[in-house]
Amino acid sequence: MKSKLWSFKFNTVTLVLIPAAIGINYLGKLFAGVLKLPLWLDSIGTVLAAVLAGPIVGAICGAANNIIYGLTMDPISTVYALTNLGIGIVAGILAYKGFMKNIKGAIITALVVGLVAVVISTPLNIILWEGTTGNVWGDALYAWAIAHNLPVWLSSFLDELVVDLPDKIAVVVIVFLICKGLPKSLISLYQRDEKIENLD
Amino acid sequence: MKSISLYVDKGTLLNRIAPESKIMYIITAITVPALLGNRLAGAGFIVLSVLLLLSGKVLRKTIPLLSVSGFVLLTVLIIQGMFRAGNTVPLFSIGPVIFYREGTSFAMSIVINVINILLSFCVLILTTKPSDMIENFIRRGFSPRFGYVFISVFQIIPQMTETMSTIADAQRSRGMETEGNLWVRIKAFIPLISPVIMSSLINTKERALALEVRGFNSKHKKTFLNDERKTSADPYLQIILLIGILATIGWRVFVWLA
Amino acid sequence: MAGIVIEHLKYRYPGSNKLALDDITFSVNQGEFIGIIGRNESGKSSLCQAIAGLIPNFYKGAYGGKVLIDELEVKKVEVDELCQKVGIIFQNPFNQVTGSKLTVYEEISFGLENMGIPKEEMTQRIDEAMELLDISKYKDRYPFDLSGGQMQRMAIASIIAMKPEVIILDEPTSQLDPQGREEVFQAVQKLSKQGITIIMVEHNMEKIAAYSDRIVLLEDGKLIAIDTPQVIFSREDLIEYGVEAPIYTQISRKLGLKDKRTGCYPVTLKEIKPLLETEGGDR
Repeated sequence: MKSKLWSFKFNTVTLVLIPAAIGINYLGKLFAGVLKLPLWLDSIGTVLAAVLAGPIVGAICGAANNIIYGLTMDPISTVYALTNLGIGIVAGILAYKGFMKNIKGAIITALVVGLVAVVISTPLNIILWEGTTGNVWGDALYAWAIAHNLPVWLSSFLDELVVDLPDKIAVVVIVFLICKGLPKSLISLYQRDEKIENLD
Repeated sequence: MKSISLYVDKGTLLNRIAPESKIMYIITAITVPALLGNRLAGAGFIVLSVLLLLSGKVLRKTIPLLSVSGFVLLTVLIIQGMFRAGNTVPLFSIGPVIFYREGTSFAMSIVINVINILLSFCVLILTTKPSDMIENFIRRGFSPRFGYVFISVFQIIPQMTETMSTIADAQRSRGMETEGNLWVRIKAFIPLISPVIMSSLINTKERALALEVRGFNSKHKKTFLNDERKTSADPYLQIILLIGILATIGWRVFVWLA
Repeated sequence: MAGIVIEHLKYRYPGSNKLALDDITFSVNQGEFIGIIGRNESGKSSLCQAIAGLIPNFYKGAYGGKVLIDELEVKKVEVDELCQKVGIIFQNPFNQVTGSKLTVYEEISFGLENMGIPKEEMTQRIDEAMELLDISKYKDRYPFDLSGGQMQRMAIASIIAMKPEVIILDEPTSQLDPQGREEVFQAVQKLSKQGITIIMVEHNMEKIAAYSDRIVLLEDGKLIAIDTPQVIFSREDLIEYGVEAPIYTQISRKLGLKDKRTGCYPVTLKEIKPLLETEGGDR
């Protein structure tokens, strides 16, 4: 039986999933670093949690992820909790509607999630640093745009697009591939509104 | 590594003060300069935070945290200083590159704002044990289940990181290439992350079972082995900070109405 | 005090089309030590979790029949209430560490804090539990730094401190090294002398034979037999159920040594000794 989309009932497995998702985010970033990939790959856990347990859990994982990073490594991450929260919600909604069941739907999800991430991060970038991202390629594009008298919001949007969209697409596709290989017994644990069927 | 928290117990006054007071300090340090719209206020709070961190013997530990943002701040300085729209008056130049006064001044506002936020956060996170903070919230009604989720992140992540090196070695010994051209490295990612995710999900299920049989979902009012972290000075500190914020809001509204 | 009554217990996991537990009926008296044996996937873990109430309340799924602990029906009680009567230890010691406490001492307090036990009683219970499991010397250590055997004993201490009337141990030594296994078996022996009802799944047949008052043999979710270790291990068809008898029984079978009174083969060292001596004397 499928659970409600916006259920706020959290069973224990769903709660314990949250630290695990943050850990998977962290390990994704670590492996990407070890393999020297030009992507962050630091939201695999958030998207996975959203696909398994819904948008609310995805949002919590995303936000908690940045809050914890903010408290232990980089306080500025806290601000970007909003971006990851958005990613969690959108991925959760699309997964619920069945978009993550085949590769075509997964790519659509990837594009939507990527765009949402860019749209949320851009104003945050503008408020904090007047629109730059700290990434060499993105900021070069920003500088070029500003020099050509493009408005700040557009320059910043392009900067973030170049930096973030490929990364989010990779993340969603990776989560799709992994979910394909998960046993049903693990997936069913996260369905919240199950009732006990009577066998007597 | 036991915990990813940066907290160390130095036995100072700052360690003993209630976490809530430090949280109020962060809110004050961010909102007051923002409301006053004055760079000097931001700089003032930076000085205050530095003094607090010195008294807490943790000033040196702020350096790694500052350097993470330091790089981004440098790029802001460069880009705004050189390319901001409305840059007319040159300030200084390095070779052929010119930094303008307007852009550089603007960049400095950003730098002060960001460093202020960073240091005020440091006052909290370098001197507070995460479980003390969460236990205080739970005492005041915060959900113990979510409190658990928050605290467990600090310890579960180092545990997962340790298993990662085992898995990476195991995969390499199976002949998986991790060095070489970009395509080789991309192909290596999924075989590395897959077993990690699988075992994390299984561990999650088993840990959930272990928590449930230890009364995790109990509706009893929770009791605590440790005592509450607070001093007699805390109520006064929190009131002073609150008055500061309200006064600033009041001043702002007054100016706006006038 | 806690007697366990299981009547026509049936269970199917969500998403599965096979019964994991198929019409199981038996009772356990208070203070008994029950061993559960059977091949892998025969339903041993599911039975353990059904007695602890995790089935059906954690997994949901399809459930039939009754499990009564001290006349309390398990299906109708939430796990957080039932766990005060029934405790359960699982295979993997790492996954039973909560990950929210920095010392062994605090880790053991986790369940007590949830139960709302006052602080003075908490410290008393924790001290007693650590004493019983012989881990007092580790009280200030970081839980994840312990060895497997120490971690498993900490898990048992955490459950014991909650003072349950029934303790279930589901393959507690499978993931431990030989020293760890020895430590846990010694702990289990101590527990059995405390008068708590114990249910244990184990692959070490010598230990199960030595500790158990009665043994449950499962196959395919069904209860094949429940009887004393002597009767169960003397069965000729054990191998068909994927179970090997204790070494003493195997030797006795080869030597044709039976206990004249019961008609069964001996199952422990203690039982085989007099029979060997007699045998030696007869020659």
